[in-house]
Amino acid sequence: MKSKEEKVKIITEEYIDDGEDAEEERQKKPSKVPRQKRKKQLPAASREEMVSENSPVDDQQEPVQEGSDTRLLGMMSRRGPRSLPPIPSASRTGFAEFSMRERMREKLQAARSKAESALLQEIPTPRPRRLRSPAEKESETECGMELDREVQRIQQEHDSQGHSRVKFHDSVRKIKSKPLVPPGFPSAEEAYNFFTFNFDPEPEESEEKPKAKNRHGANQEEKEGEEEEPPVQEGVSKTDEEEWLDGRDAEDLLLGLDHAVEDFVAIRPADYESVHVRLQREKELLFVPSRRTVPTYKKLPENVQPRYLEDEGLYIGARPEVPRTNQNIMENRLLTQEPGRRWFGDDGRILALPNPIKPVPSRPPMFTQAQDIKPELETLYKKAVKYIHRSQHLIGSGDSPGNFQLDIDISGLIFTHHPCFSREHVLAAKLAQLYDQYLARRQRNKAKFLTDKLHALRNAVQMGLNPAKTPKTLETTSKTINEYKSEIRQTRKLRDAEQEKDRTLLKTIIKVWKEMKSLREFQRFTNTPLKLVLRKEKVDQKADEEAYEAEIQAEINELLEEHTEEYEQKMEVYRVTLQRWKAWKKAQRAKKKKKKQEVEEHPTDEEREEPGPGEEPEKPAPPEPVDRAVIEQQVRERAAQSRRRPGEPTLVPELSLAGSVTPNDQCPRVEVLRREDIKRRSLFLKVTFNNKEVSRTESRPLGADFRVHFGQIFNLQIFNWPESLTLQVYETVGHSGTTLLAEVFLPIPETTVVSGRAPIEEVEFSSNQHVTLDHEGVGSGVPFSFEADGGNQLILMTSGKVSNSVAWAIGENGIPLIPPLSQQNIGFRSALKRADAISSIGTSGLTDMKKLAKWAAESKLDPNDPSNGPLMQLISVATSGESYIPDFFRLEQLQQEFNFVSDEELNRSKRFRLLLLRSQEVPEFRHYKQIPLYDREIMEKVFQDYEKRLRDRNVIETKDHIDSHRATVAKYLQQVRESVINRFLIAKHHFLLSDLVVEEEVPNISILGLSLFKLAEQKRPLRPRRKGRKKVTAQNLSDGDIKLLVNIIRAYDIPVRKPTASKFHQTSRSSRTFTEKHAASPTTHSPAHSADYPLGQALVRPFVEVSFQRTICHTTTAEGPNPSWNEELELPFRAPNGDYSTTSLQSVKDDVFINIFDEVLYDVLEDDRERGSGIHTRIERHWLGCVRIPFSTIYFQARIDGTFKIDIPPVLLGYSKERSVMMDRGFDSIRSLSEGSYITLFITLEPQLVPGESVREKFDSQEDEKLLQATEKFRAECALKFPNRQCLTTVVDVSGKTVFVTRYLKPLNPPQELLNAYPNNPQATAELVARYVSLIPFLPDTVSFAGVCDLWSSSDQFLDLLAGDEEEHAVLLCNYFLSMGKKAWLVTGNAIPEGPTAYVLTQEQSHYLIWNPCNGHFYGQFDTFCPLKSVSCLIGPDNIWFNIQQYDSPLRINFDVTKPKLWKSFFSRSLPYPGLSSVQPEELIYQRTDQVAAAELQDRIEKILKEKIMDWRPRHLTRWNRYCTSMLRHFLPLLERNQEDVEDDHRAELLKQLGDYRFSGFPLHMPYSEVKPLIEAVYSTGVHNIDAPNVEFALAVYVHPYPKNVLSVWIYVASLIRNR
Amino acid sequence: MAAAGPSVFLLMVNGQVESAQFPEYDDLYCKYCFVYGQDWAPTAGLEEGISQITSKSQDARRALVWNFPIDVTFKSTNPYGWPQIVLSVYGPDVFGNDVVRGYGAVHVPLSPGRHKKTIPMFVPESTSKLQKFTSWLMGRRPEYTDPKVVAQGEGREGKGSPPWAVGLE
Repeated sequence: MKSKEEKVKIITEEYIDDGEDAEEERQKKPSKVPRQKRKKQLPAASREEMVSENSPVDDQQEPVQEGSDTRLLGMMSRRGPRSLPPIPSASRTGFAEFSMRERMREKLQAARSKAESALLQEIPTPRPRRLRSPAEKESETECGMELDREVQRIQQEHDSQGHSRVKFHDSVRKIKSKPLVPPGFPSAEEAYNFFTFNFDPEPEESEEKPKAKNRHGANQEEKEGEEEEPPVQEGVSKTDEEEWLDGRDAEDLLLGLDHAVEDFVAIRPADYESVHVRLQREKELLFVPSRRTVPTYKKLPENVQPRYLEDEGLYIGARPEVPRTNQNIMENRLLTQEPGRRWFGDDGRILALPNPIKPVPSRPPMFTQAQDIKPELETLYKKAVKYIHRSQHLIGSGDSPGNFQLDIDISGLIFTHHPCFSREHVLAAKLAQLYDQYLARRQRNKAKFLTDKLHALRNAVQMGLNPAKTPKTLETTSKTINEYKSEIRQTRKLRDAEQEKDRTLLKTIIKVWKEMKSLREFQRFTNTPLKLVLRKEKVDQKADEEAYEAEIQAEINELLEEHTEEYEQKMEVYRVTLQRWKAWKKAQRAKKKKKKQEVEEHPTDEEREEPGPGEEPEKPAPPEPVDRAVIEQQVRERAAQSRRRPGEPTLVPELSLAGSVTPNDQCPRVEVLRREDIKRRSLFLKVTFNNKEVSRTESRPLGADFRVHFGQIFNLQIFNWPESLTLQVYETVGHSGTTLLAEVFLPIPETTVVSGRAPIEEVEFSSNQHVTLDHEGVGSGVPFSFEADGGNQLILMTSGKVSNSVAWAIGENGIPLIPPLSQQNIGFRSALKRADAISSIGTSGLTDMKKLAKWAAESKLDPNDPSNGPLMQLISVATSGESYIPDFFRLEQLQQEFNFVSDEELNRSKRFRLLLLRSQEVPEFRHYKQIPLYDREIMEKVFQDYEKRLRDRNVIETKDHIDSHRATVAKYLQQVRESVINRFLIAKHHFLLSDLVVEEEVPNISILGLSLFKLAEQKRPLRPRRKGRKKVTAQNLSDGDIKLLVNIIRAYDIPVRKPTASKFHQTSRSSRTFTEKHAASPTTHSPAHSADYPLGQALVRPFVEVSFQRTICHTTTAEGPNPSWNEELELPFRAPNGDYSTTSLQSVKDDVFINIFDEVLYDVLEDDRERGSGIHTRIERHWLGCVRIPFSTIYFQARIDGTFKIDIPPVLLGYSKERSVMMDRGFDSIRSLSEGSYITLFITLEPQLVPGESVREKFDSQEDEKLLQATEKFRAECALKFPNRQCLTTVVDVSGKTVFVTRYLKPLNPPQELLNAYPNNPQATAELVARYVSLIPFLPDTVSFAGVCDLWSSSDQFLDLLAGDEEEHAVLLCNYFLSMGKKAWLVTGNAIPEGPTAYVLTQEQSHYLIWNPCNGHFYGQFDTFCPLKSVSCLIGPDNIWFNIQQYDSPLRINFDVTKPKLWKSFFSRSLPYPGLSSVQPEELIYQRTDQVAAAELQDRIEKILKEKIMDWRPRHLTRWNRYCTSMLRHFLPLLERNQEDVEDDHRAELLKQLGDYRFSGFPLHMPYSEVKPLIEAVYSTGVHNIDAPNVEFALAVYVHPYPKNVLSVWIYVASLIRNR
Repeated sequence: MAAAGPSVFLLMVNGQVESAQFPEYDDLYCKYCFVYGQDWAPTAGLEEGISQITSKSQDARRALVWNFPIDVTFKSTNPYGWPQIVLSVYGPDVFGNDVVRGYGAVHVPLSPGRHKKTIPMFVPESTSKLQKFTSWLMGRRPEYTDPKVVAQGEGREGKGSPPWAVGLE
């Protein structure tokens, strides 16, 4: 065995396997021991052979041979038998089983024998194979070759088997085409087929079985080997397969030989199994379920009838569709199984769940273009079907509004029983009821009516009987008479019944009354005022008797007649029957005579017997003749019973409430309790319409008579078709709450019933409540008795009647408010459209549940049907009473369900709050970035500022503002700003097309012409002009992108150093410096000095320093008082918080400071001897003046280009304005008109930013609509002619309303003290007033109302706010001038640097003056340095004039507004001035400013500034010269008082006091708004930059108060250097 | 925790502007940029990019293939303002002026994985026929002031011209 396993080659392995198989086979047959003995040598030999070198040779050869064609032929030939029909094996199966068992047994032994054989293998055996030569092999046919291989195997097992024999066997096989294979074992072909072909199942089955068993039975090794085989065969070449087959062959052969006697072959006919036999056998094994329908009884248990639930009305879902045949097969199959019956339901069908397939696909349709969508999965489009709502709504297709009205009149309520009824009450109620009945009956008086009818009929009959009077034929007469008679009969019966009823009713009434009386007597008190009086009405005895008798007689006659008739009829019948009977008798001959005789003998006897029809054997009896006496007897009896006896008085009961009720104190305690209980009770009614409560009556106490009066009328404006109208009776007992007693259903009135015509109806109600009371009240729903022994019990329920009337109301125009009839039936399609959700939800959800339940019960809905499911559920819910129908609506019903946290929790979330605030654009959070992900990451301090602001909204904080008034103002401003911003927040998010889309303008002719002209233009002109730059929207900008470009071109008239300086320095001769020579003025300078300074003209060496946002740039130093720098400075711009949005940029408050300094060089040389070897100078710079331009101006103007007046301090020590001889030529005439120094600048932003546009909203206005239209027209006309000139007609006031601009102009009084200052000098007064106005701080609107618009505040608001821009200043100044009697106008136009602005124009005696309201300066009309560059509009208090002159420069225009050719006026003859009232106050009230506060402020500012200067000099010691400071402080008030010509005195004073110091300093003057601008101003002078070691500083502040808290601030800063 | 700054989540966007279908135009290039909310910040990669000019493929698809890579990483604390990629496509008109051929925007996919998006493109239409003509003549078609407006809701009342498509992956 081991040696075998060592073989690697697959082929050899196969040999081994085969060998094993063979061995196995061998050992399976212990009976063939002798042969096996022989075999034993051979296997050993073969194995030996394989171990030897021969086997590799074999292996090599085999593929060659097998690859040959000849071999294929052989294959073909051998396939012949294979293609034959499969071998039937009737006997084989049997044999297979047998052999199987055998093999099993043998296998057990195999293991044992294997061990032995293993030993045997060691023994060398002769190897016949070796003898064979290769030539021999080649000569062999394919058969032979095959055999050769077979032999190999055969040899392994049968050593005795010779080559020839095998050959023979093979040939035999060939001939027979069917080998003698022992059944049960696969032949080679079979095996081959088994693995390759698809055979009929039968042989396969029979073969596989043993095989499988074999496998299982075999030991592990064998199993593995076998299992390995198939893949190996397939994997390797065909040859291997063949070989394997051969092996099988050999096996077969071997086995075949087993059967036969040794060495010869038995030939047997093929086993044939007839089809029948086979079928028979198959039948035993196989089960083919029948397709026939299984009778139901088989499927059900014994003696059980099938039950069809569907027929019983239960819902049975649709079963999944299964073809009938399949179902039958399944049923048959199930039936053959043992517990088959449990698969069947009661109806004999297979149990099945309802079809789970929905008719509608729930998956959304897929819109793929693929064509292979299965038709059943395809979704078909169906047009939406409108859901036809059940007729709930009244609003029909028409446009008629659904206001219909139903009037419900509830007049009262009467209880027919109540728990608080005493026994007497019960009786009284009964009595009352009976009496009511009686009354009703009497009113109808049916008995009388019937009596009359009877009489009439009788008369008619009488008439009819008289043939003379009737022209009719006899037949018709008799017919009518008969009819009459029958009617008489019926009427009589009815009358009798009625009369009897009347009588009994009367009797009952009397009986109850008697009971009541006895009860009253018994209980000894009276509860009810009821009293019954029986009135006897006497009748005429005789007449009555006669009538009575006549009546009886008539009746008797009638009856007699009737009976006679009847008798005759009966007789007729009798005769007929008798005849028949006789005939029958005759037929019965035997009895014939006898019977006849009997009939004749006893005719009367037989007459009594009723002649039964068809009772042939019985003899008919003749009818009884009518007996008058009997009839009379009967009639009289009846009459006595039901009718009043003749002569008896008629009894008329009369119920009255005349009786007296026993007062409480005479009653027993229980009764008192009862009465008190009643008093505690009160009732009210709720009116419910379509189950919704619509109104309720007032609560009324229950009366002692158990009546409640309401008398209320409810007008129901209805919208829905009335489904139900219910009154709910509620009872309140004391304070314990209300109980629903009963519901009263009111009928919906017919459409014809309108209010006014509706009768009061009584609708009864009753309640099923059970009440037991502990007092005299009988309770409700509990038994009680009137009798002492408790017998004859009564159970009474609370019941009563509501008297009401329901009707449709009548509208104002007499049309009843009734819904059209059509609406009640048709579906209200359009109603769905129009009705809001509430009504549709409400009505659909709240249909009349009771009706629905009733309907469901009546229509016997199947509760199991899913389609009824929702309905049933609804009903069950509604009827179970567990859930109530809400009488309210709820919007967003599922809100609760969708809330993932409670509201409080949500509000507590910091993150949510932060997000909320940001989305609300609260300033603190507007640009908050990266809101933390978790709540815990949000610091509490984030909200602190915001919360503080909210808290401090009304708290005035003085910390930042020093001055309390300004703090208040700032607060107010903030509030105004907030409100305005909130108002415009939405408008900000509104975009125009031009905001989003850039679109080129359509070029008009001029542009086209210009562009054509450009073509002819020189390519490179010598003087390049500035080209417009592309504007950049401030969206994707960041720090460093924006630069401020300042181009400083030149300056005029810079102050020059004064010659006095030399005088000054003479005192300090020791320190005669280098620069002082230069500083000498040209008038005084000596030739020696000029030698030092070659040109001799350097009176001043100015340079310009531009500071913006604490960035400083400066130009080079130029020389002379008229320097030309022409330098461009570039300063970076940083937006606040890095936010470059338009709104943010607009609110930048920074200023650009353009400071002009004089560079002064000082020789610091200590020793003159060193002069030759080195230069030691110190540069000092002296501030000369500044120009301040707000950034907002630059931002809005895009560029600022022009010449500006330099703001030079009034006192500039050491400098004076000298006229240079050289400069006298050109500008003398111009300069003579103006004083001061000028600088020419060009400032712009790079890149150019698009300024935010003001809000384009149309504001509401209180102006007259006509006026507004006129303004629009005026503006349009002006804009058409001069598009560049701004036309101002309406402005927006602080509250955001459009106001006509002239309303702002009105004479207003300036502060009196200003007027008093120069009583004789109007010009000085005007200047002072202008100065006062200019002292009010300037605050551009764009800053305060960032991005909103230009708001105009009235003058009082302006003075209160103490902040405003040009318009407010101009308006105030203009108003002051107007009040001072000047002719003044507001001028709108463009100025530098402000851009569009407002100035004031005044007409003096001969000329016009233009006032700049912001700084108080004024200019003549022809002043070239006037900042106002263009004039577009003049506004007076009563008119607006638009400039329609060719030019708009003030130099070139005529200000005479009376000339309509030059000025287009708004109000003219066509539109006269309507006399618009002013928005300004009547007069301005000025409070004197608190001097103490001003002084305090002064100290504080001084302190702050000193600290600041020290802060700015962190590396140097800052010394304060107190002496100098006090002196400066002394100067400042002088400066305020008279701003001119103090300089010389001042200088002299300073020289005197501070002779030892070199002094440089200047006063700054500013209006006061906040501290910060002051600090900035001081900083910009650069005083602190002096870093000389021995420098000292002096700083003085003076605050001069003007009325209305306008403060003028003077700051004197100076630096001192001690001269040595 | 607080010192480490707020916790954020990262969104990495990798992909490319694959190709476009502009049946009428050729030689186009595209720009992309991202629009995102306040709580978002790019941490790595390029927020904006401009592609090469591509010509139509010669096959039947006639696609304009850019295969222009996008690689950017955002950090955020809030899914609100989820980034959108904004594409704008430009190309020369008959006269050789560069004009805009389409704008489009799409949210960056919300789920990880590979997504292929097709963005319909549109351009603003001229306000009048005359404007249309002159803009055609002068090569100054109406454009958005900022391509990012297509990713925003405010003021989007403008109309679009027939949509083309850009494939983005």
